[in-house]
Amino acid sequence: MARVSMKKVDILVSLILVPICLYVFYESGRWPKQALIGAPTLIPRGVSACLLLAAGVLLVQALRGKASELEAPLEGANRRRVMLIGVLTGAYAGIVAYVGFLISTFIYLLLFGLVVGERRLPRLLLFAVLLPIAIYLIFSTFFNVPLPEGWLR
Amino acid sequence: MVDLGLLLKGFATVLSGYNLLALVLGSFMGIIVGAIPGLTATMGIALLVPFTFGMSPITGIVMLLGIYTGGIYGGGIASILIKTPGTPAAVATTFDGYPMAQKGMAGKAIGMATIASGIGGTFTALCLTFFAPILASFALRFSAPEYFALAVFGLSVVVSLAGRSPLKGLISGALGLLIAMVGLDPMGGFPRFTFGRIELTGGFSFVPMLIGLFALSEGFRQIETIFTAPKVTAVLKDIIPKLRELAACTITFIRSCVIGLIVGITPAIGAETSSLISYAEAKRTSKHPEKFGTGILEGVAAPQCAENASTGGDMLPMLTLGIPGDAATAVLMGALTIHNLQPGPLLFRDHAELVHQIFGGMILANFMFVILGLTFARFFARVINIDRRYLVPLIFIACMVGSYAINNVMYDLVTCVVFGFIGYLMMRYDYPVSPMVLAQILGFMMESNFRRSLVMSQGDPSILVTRPIALTILILAVFTTVTAIRRQRKMMRAQGDTTT
Repeated sequence: MARVSMKKVDILVSLILVPICLYVFYESGRWPKQALIGAPTLIPRGVSACLLLAAGVLLVQALRGKASELEAPLEGANRRRVMLIGVLTGAYAGIVAYVGFLISTFIYLLLFGLVVGERRLPRLLLFAVLLPIAIYLIFSTFFNVPLPEGWLR
Repeated sequence: MVDLGLLLKGFATVLSGYNLLALVLGSFMGIIVGAIPGLTATMGIALLVPFTFGMSPITGIVMLLGIYTGGIYGGGIASILIKTPGTPAAVATTFDGYPMAQKGMAGKAIGMATIASGIGGTFTALCLTFFAPILASFALRFSAPEYFALAVFGLSVVVSLAGRSPLKGLISGALGLLIAMVGLDPMGGFPRFTFGRIELTGGFSFVPMLIGLFALSEGFRQIETIFTAPKVTAVLKDIIPKLRELAACTITFIRSCVIGLIVGITPAIGAETSSLISYAEAKRTSKHPEKFGTGILEGVAAPQCAENASTGGDMLPMLTLGIPGDAATAVLMGALTIHNLQPGPLLFRDHAELVHQIFGGMILANFMFVILGLTFARFFARVINIDRRYLVPLIFIACMVGSYAINNVMYDLVTCVVFGFIGYLMMRYDYPVSPMVLAQILGFMMESNFRRSLVMSQGDPSILVTRPIALTILILAVFTTVTAIRRQRKMMRAQGDTTT
């Protein structure tokens, strides 16, 4: 199986970690100084310093060609499928409160099934209709948890 | 010491009404989750935690214990039938389990796996029952410096032993520590890293985050192999092993139980490590080591026994000290917290009856999965063939709805999705997820006890190294860290040798 170097990923991770660590130092400097509550900046800054050091070592390792290798790189149709589902899931989380649980879950399950290759439309439609209704009933009657109603309100 | 009267009452409570139903359901679901490759016991627990919110504490906990023990055991079923471990802990079961299936002995392998798991799990559940109260009463003497030292030790082990690279474990752990600091300062009450958002004043919601990191992320992983999942075709017969076959594995059972207990007690290393060590030891000490890997019962008994034996060991530090033994017990801690129960020595003092019910639940959970596993072995084998194109979206919906249901706020659903993405990317690019979660729990413990220690000593940090128990634990932490650094250097040298 093809192996891919994680050099780019490791460099990217190191570059993301640096501003995070610097922000921790910056914000902790703005915390109120109060006596006798045990140095609130010590642990956050200590952790940030360790993280900054680790990011530095990771960056140096990656630049020197010592990054580890990924055994099963995600490519082609698999990668597209995962990205599509990611976008779909993010969109679902964004709209469910406004559109309502039943309608948004129906649409989500329908599109999910199509993305993962289900072409038996009657079966998919049945699943997309029955599952949200079943979950809605279980949560509202057994768990007493109201799910978002959205447009159906 | 364990109170036998309370323990018997605990058994009676677990065996009555809804609690027994919860235990049966939990074990059943746990075996199913464990049997399906890619779904883990941790994921099963994370998914079901929100659903236990409306139950009484013991009903909810017993259900989760059923999923935990059943899930760890269930991984062996897929290992034997399709050479794909149902859970990471069941890797070693493939070595002899699958060859046995190829020889037409799949049923016997599953039967042996079931009974071996039951023996290992019951042994350490009994150890938990008898040793936990002793450890808890000793831990009552601990004060802030000792808890700080324990947290540091736990962090050093978590970071150095999780994943292939200690450096990535350190990054994951450090990020977990920073995530734990989001919210209000525990002593000063001022907001930290909240970016002005009201929702973040309470920090990130722990259970939705767990669901995202362990369950939703795994759902994304499942999409990668949605078309290539192997199918079970084996026919199961002669499931229950003969008495002489079990007797022949007696020494293996004893050795595996001890390995599982010791490995389980150590934070961050759990069932996967114990099963591999147990298999290696069984092979090393066998009169016929050449037979291992060809399909023998001992090769199935050793790893399965050890992996369930580690469950009791993992529960021990979690219940007595509040230090989770692995990711699954970290999620169980989240479940206890939802029911306003804080693991640690005070749990034993203030909720003795509940603790003994947990002991009873843990012991009975091991019997339950043996009964269900032997009775429904053929059904569980067929479950592996479930169409992933319907299972995976169900997992996604269960994750998101479960997260929302905890507090009925969209913020929790968004937290689950965001951490689901993060967890998936971490797994994809070989950054271990467990240190991030364990570090959050240990990080809170470390910071709050560090600051309490400074308040106790009026700002003098030497209090952390002048108390003998705290000093001993800190020395162990340093030793663990040094070992991890040496391991990292060895890895770097080995990589240098292969590239030149």
